[in-house]
Parts: sequence; structure tokens; C-alpha cells
Amino acid sequence: MQEFLQQVLSGIASGGIYASLALALVLIYNAMGLVNFAQGEMAMLATFLAFTLIDHGMSYWIALPITILVAFGGGIVIQRVVIRPVERAPVLTLVIVTLGLATLINGLAGFLFGYLPRSFPSPFSVQTVSIFGAAASYQDLGVIGVSAVVLVLVYLLLQRTTLGLAMRAAAHHPEASRLLGVRVSWMLALGWGLASAVGAVSGIMVAPILLLEPNMMQTVVIYAFAAAVLGGIDSPLGAVIGGLVIGVTVNLAGAYAPGVGGDLQLAVAFAIIIAVLVLKPNGLLGRRATRRV
Amino acid sequence: MALLELDGVRAGYGQTRVLHGVSLSVGEGDVVALLGANGAGKTTTLRAITGGVRWDGIINFGGRSLRRATTESIVRMGIAHVPEGRGVLTELTVEENLRLGAYLRRGSDGVAKDYDRVFGYFPILRERRKLSASTLSGGEQQMLALARALLMRPKLLLLDEPSLGLAPLVVRSIFDIIRAINESDHVAVLLVEQNARIALELSSHAYVLEVGRVAVEGDSAKLKTEESVRRSYLGY
Amino acid sequence: MRFLSQAPRRYWLVALVVIVFAGLPTQVTSFQSLEWAEVLIFAIVIMGLNLLVGYSGQISLGHGAFMAVGAYTTAILVHRYHMDYLATIPIAGLLTGLLGFVLGIPALRLSPLYLALATFALAVVTPSLIKRPENLTQGVQGILLPPPQPPDWVSSMFASVTSGPAMTSDQWLYYVSFIVAVILFWVAWNIVRRRPGRALMAIRDGEVAAAASGVNIAGYKTLAFGLSAFYAGVAGSLYGLASGYVSPDSFPVALSFTLLVGAVIGGLGSIAGPLFGGIFTFWLPIMSSQFVQTQDWIPDQVASVFKNAGPAVTYGALLILIMIFAPNGLAGLILSGYTRLRSRLRGVGERTTGQVPPDPQTV
Repeated sequence: MQEFLQQVLSGIASGGIYASLALALVLIYNAMGLVNFAQGEMAMLATFLAFTLIDHGMSYWIALPITILVAFGGGIVIQRVVIRPVERAPVLTLVIVTLGLATLINGLAGFLFGYLPRSFPSPFSVQTVSIFGAAASYQDLGVIGVSAVVLVLVYLLLQRTTLGLAMRAAAHHPEASRLLGVRVSWMLALGWGLASAVGAVSGIMVAPILLLEPNMMQTVVIYAFAAAVLGGIDSPLGAVIGGLVIGVTVNLAGAYAPGVGGDLQLAVAFAIIIAVLVLKPNGLLGRRATRRV
Repeated sequence: MALLELDGVRAGYGQTRVLHGVSLSVGEGDVVALLGANGAGKTTTLRAITGGVRWDGIINFGGRSLRRATTESIVRMGIAHVPEGRGVLTELTVEENLRLGAYLRRGSDGVAKDYDRVFGYFPILRERRKLSASTLSGGEQQMLALARALLMRPKLLLLDEPSLGLAPLVVRSIFDIIRAINESDHVAVLLVEQNARIALELSSHAYVLEVGRVAVEGDSAKLKTEESVRRSYLGY
Repeated sequence: MRFLSQAPRRYWLVALVVIVFAGLPTQVTSFQSLEWAEVLIFAIVIMGLNLLVGYSGQISLGHGAFMAVGAYTTAILVHRYHMDYLATIPIAGLLTGLLGFVLGIPALRLSPLYLALATFALAVVTPSLIKRPENLTQGVQGILLPPPQPPDWVSSMFASVTSGPAMTSDQWLYYVSFIVAVILFWVAWNIVRRRPGRALMAIRDGEVAAAASGVNIAGYKTLAFGLSAFYAGVAGSLYGLASGYVSPDSFPVALSFTLLVGAVIGGLGSIAGPLFGGIFTFWLPIMSSQFVQTQDWIPDQVASVFKNAGPAVTYGALLILIMIFAPNGLAGLILSGYTRLRSRLRGVGERTTGQVPPDPQTV
């Protein structure tokens, strides 16, 4: 039982990471109707920035907000420079652009930092504390805590502020929002910035576990994509739930299902999703395809 | 100088030209009707004004040319456009739609009072304000769109077929409210309508579009009585 | 009417391309022939993908998996059952096509994004699935395939025509791929031209309307899946023969992405597109590492950064630039350039209409 709880807790921790990245994917999907395949690479690059800052002596808790801010700005820049020229192109074209962006960023990271995996510091010790008799590491609890804080902040921003309202309006109804004076193009840019910032948190959280190197986020992105689809690609809350479900289930499958090793864990994730999609074709919390005005 | 002036406006979609030289004007506080059959170009005219379609010619608002202005900046100048289909943001709640109406006026005085006023005109919106806007009926969505436009405190209100798909009683009450707003706030109104009768009742001046050009214009009162005009252009 | 006057010109162009490609091995080295064989192989699978994505409007991020099925079919039949490699090509195609058709059935239920995910899942899982039945697939080790040699009569004919050495294995592979490509392009062209093609495009452009017009949506969509899988299977089979070696890692997830990228860049919904797509898919990564250096107008400092940063950065940048300037792919770019040129030459005036249809609804 204890071991089970441990696995669940560990799963929740990874789930938090997937949820954050999944949320970033959902934000952009809502704004543009496409999955940003560069999300993981952007997060990875931000994590490298944090690494560089910390390496030069900055405290973790100062490097973190700085990195988030820079990631925010970077997301805006990318939207303005790369995405806006192709805004009106067919969705597949935009998808290719994000793929190109992903390749570019990955290559850039390799160029700047090399491919040797590096260890990334974590402010949380690996000591464990006992919860209901199970040993939970501070590391896992810390990750859960940080992810939760980020997700709550994003929720508050989007749901409780006027700016968030304008962003949501611009994402779902660009034409009608223009007629209300909302600067839709800038709202999209902010959306990218926000997604990038959230992704950066995801990367920084996962780096101590996976070791920092340019290809670090690729598996994470796959899980996050799966989580977003599971929860319903247009539902932020769904992304969070999806992330947690995937995190826990994959962990448990890896621990308890016979023959399920590292490479088949992904298969497990996908099997779950496809099973869910058969029953609920729009994901757990998704709605019918939204038409945008 | 009129509040809104169009002179020789040509516009279209891609290679298809819809407007072939439309000229009209709306004075401050006036209610002007834009009539015509389906496809005559009424909606395109409104879209040209708020920058939703490429156009050629002259469009001035308050003396300023709208040529290179973006939709958002045109709206900020004081034009509220309730488009065909109402443009209700169905992903958001009623209250959120209204808050977006007041988006440009954040922090200025009178916004709270305006909410009260708007709820006074449309009590059902207060009742339903926490619900998703998609749950409203057609008439209620029209009310929401109108309420939202009022909260913008515009100088000019562009209405595209407010009566479309609504029951006659609902249409009447909405038009009464439009008249009340025009009288109390001196908001100018450019009203596109297929229901010529009620549009002529409300407006002081009217233009009839036919295939992208102004075919007839004049005093609404006179147009109402002129039988030849009514038969040929207005269908009744 | 316009088509009739255009048609002869188009046919001449196609004949020219075919002749150029037929004569290619006589002008380039043997190894380069093999490279161009791979270009044609990519063109084949992208043609299939194009039928699915460009014509029927469905999406697949898993065509690498179909290639793997085709490749392994050939590899196992040749290695284990000593079948003639040429015979395995259509078998690989049919088997993969059947698989695609069967998979196309549950795919009907999924909206585009979820279909993308499901096919993506397929691509992710396939290497692992290949590794498992080790008796059959040799697992991680993979299967080695001997290079196919041309039959004697072909070889000596080639030698006499070119008054040079006998045909090499690489050149033979090129010609096999070439002939298969020509056949399959001709098949695709006929499909697209006739009723199936029109049905697919009707589905792509508006399923509801198509259904209302009596088009059998389910049938055509699964047919598209099966057909595109068939093409991928044939291409995979040729790919295995050309590489001489198949392993689970020959078909990573990235391959499926690369194929989709190639299809879009080449130009969806056109017959010429896949050829451009094939050329691009093969040459762009290679070009990326050398491209920047050959451009004299780029200052040295910038060029050296690109050179050191590696092909990935250039590849990504080129991808983005191409999509910005040619969102309908290269075929679309050429076509629009051609139309613009023609209209300028003819002095097309502005088209005005009488009654126009009502303005589109905004909600």
C-alpha cells in the first residue's frame, strides 16, 4: 500500500509537469486552433537560460522569475516575428512553421550549449517525509507545489482579470472582439508569451529529474500533448486533469504492469487516450469544435 | 459636417465587387436607415466603415478619414458595430460579454451607472448574467449585443439587421429601446434592415441600395408614403 | 474549355520530366543515382500521403509506420522465405494498404486533431512493436538485405545504350523506383481526375454537403487511408531494398513528421506537389548544412554562425521562410506565379458582377 501511494504521489508530481506543459498547448490551441510543436523546445531553451544564470552564481529563486519573464518576452517576440506573417495561412502551414521553429530552437540549443547532459539543481532536497505512511520526497512535493501555484495564477489571470477576459475573447472570437476594441493581435502575442512562460516552469521542474540537454523535453511534450487531448484540447481545466491522469497512470503502469518498460509507457499513455476518445470523442472536458467569429 | 460621410465607396471580396460607389451621410444624433434587398451590399457597407473589408473612396468619421485605420482603432474612435448575426461571444458568459462592452471605458466614471441602465432596459440580462451567452435565445442575444454596444457609449451605432429572426413583439420592443437611446444619449444610428417598414418608422432619413449603388434616398416620412418607391424597392 | 487548351502543354511538361528522370543515371554517378532513387521513394510515399491529406482532408502523423510495415514485409519475405524481392514489392504494398484500410475505419470517428494524435501514437509505438516479435523481425538487430542486382539482359542493354560499364545495383534500384513511381503517379492522377478524386475533394471541402449529395463518406475516407497506406508500403519496401538494412530505428517518429512536412512543402492537393516534396525531403537536410556557405551575399560572420550552429538551425529557418512565402507549397507557388504571369500578359480586367449572393454570415 505504501509503495502504491508513493507511486501515486510520484505520478502526481510528473502529472503536474505534464499539466503545465499541456496548459501551454491548450492556451495556444484556443488562440489559434493549432498545436504548437515548438512548445517543448521553447521550454528547454528557457531552462538552459536558467541554468546559465544559476551557473554564474545567481540564486535559484531569483533565476526562476527572471527566466519566466524572459520566456514570456520570448514568446511574444516569436509570435510577432514568426507566427504573425503566416496568421492567415491554412492550419497545416502553421503547424509546419512550429515544426520548423522546434528544429531551429533545438539546433540553437545544441550549438550554444552542446549535447552533453547536465545536472540541474533543485531547490528541494531528495529527503523524504512521511505522508500516510508513504515516503514522499520533498522533490516531488515541491514540484507539485510549484505546478499548482503556476496553474492557479494562470487561472486567476484568465478568469478574474479584464486582461484575461480580453485574451479569451480574442482567442475564441477574434472578429467580434475587434469590434469591441480589443487589440486581437496583441492578445494573441500575450497568449504566446503566457504559454511560453508556463512552459518554462515545466522545463525547470523537469530538468533536475531528466538531466538538462537539448532533447530533454521531447518525451515530455508527447505526454503533454496526450494529456491535453485527453482532457479536451480546448479545456484548460481538462489539460490539468489530463496531465494528472497521465502522470499517475503511466507511473503505475511502469511499476506494476508486467513487461511495460520505458518505451512502452508511452504506448500505455496513448492506449488510455484512444480508449477515452472512443467513449468521449472530444476528450474528458472538451466541447464540440468551437466556431470562431 | 456630418458625423459619418461616405463618398463613392467601392468595395468587394477578392475579385468580386459588391459596392460600386455608395455615398451617404449620417449627422450627429440622426437615425438613418439603409435598406435594400438581399445582396444589395448593406452589410458590406457597414463592414467597410469598420474596416472589415477592403474599400476605395472616401469614408470620414468626425472629419477623420478611416482609410488606413484598423478595426480596433475605428471602434476606439466611437463607433459601435453590431454585426449581422450579432457577434455575441458564445464562449463567454453574459456578464463577460457586457464587461467587454465596457472594455474601452475601464476606470472611467459612469460605467457602473451604465450597467444599471442597461439592466433596466433588458432585465433578462441581469437574470441570466452568470450563464453562458450561448444559452440565450435569438432575441436575448440581440438584446445582449445591443446592451454591449450601449456600454461602449459610442457616438455612432451601426446595426446590421437587428430584427432578423426575431418575433414581431420582440422586434418592437428592441426598436423602442433603440429610439429611447437615440433620444436620451444622442447616439447616431445607421440602421441596416430588410424590414423596411419598421426601419422607416424609426429613422429620419433613408437610403435604398440596389446592386451596390444608392438607388433612392430621402426623408423617411416621404419614402413611406411614396407608393412607387415602396412597391419597387421596399417590397410592400 | 480552358483545360482543353492547357492540356497539351501540361502533357508535354510531364513527358519532359519523365524523360529527364529516365536519363538521369547516365549523367550522374552511381551513388547519386541511389540518392535520386531515395528522392523518388519519398515522392511515392508523399503521393500517398497527399491523397489522404490533400485530397480527402484527413491527417496522418504516422506514415513512417506504414513505411516500416512495407519495409519489414519485404525484408522478412526475402530474408526468411527467400522470395524474389521484386515480387515482394506489390505484396508489401497490398498488406500495408489493407492495414491502412482497416485502421481507417476507427479513424472515421476522430476529428482532425484527434486523428493526428492517434496516427502519432502509431508512429511512436511502432518501433517498440517491431522489436517485440524477435523470431520474425530479428528485433533490435534488424535485417540485412543483399543489394539487388539487375538482370543480365537489362544490364547489357544499359551498357550498350550508354556505351559504358554494366548497370550497377544502385542504378538498377533507381530504375525500379523510377518505374514504380511513374506507374503510381499515373494511377494517382487517374484517381484524382475521375470520380473517386472528386468524391474525396468534395469530402475535404465540406463533408455535410458531400453526404447530402450522396457521396459515401465512410467508404471513400477509408479508401483514402488504405490507398495512402498502400503507397507508403510500396515506398517502404523500396526503401528497405535501397538501404540494404531495416531496423526498428530506421523508422522513428521524426520520419512521419518529415513526410508530412514534405507533403505540405511540396504542395497539397496537386499531383506535382509530391515530386517537389520528395526532392525537398531528401535534399533539404543535406542542403541545410551547405546552403549558407554557398550564398556569397551573406556576410562571413553570419555564415559561420550558421555553419557552426549546424544544419538543424538552417533547416528550421528554411522551413519557416518557405512557409511564409509559399503557404501553399512549392507547387502552389509555381502555379500562382504562372497564373499571375498569364493574367498580366493577357491584361485581365476587373470582374464585376450583377446580383451577388448575400454577404456571408459572420456567426
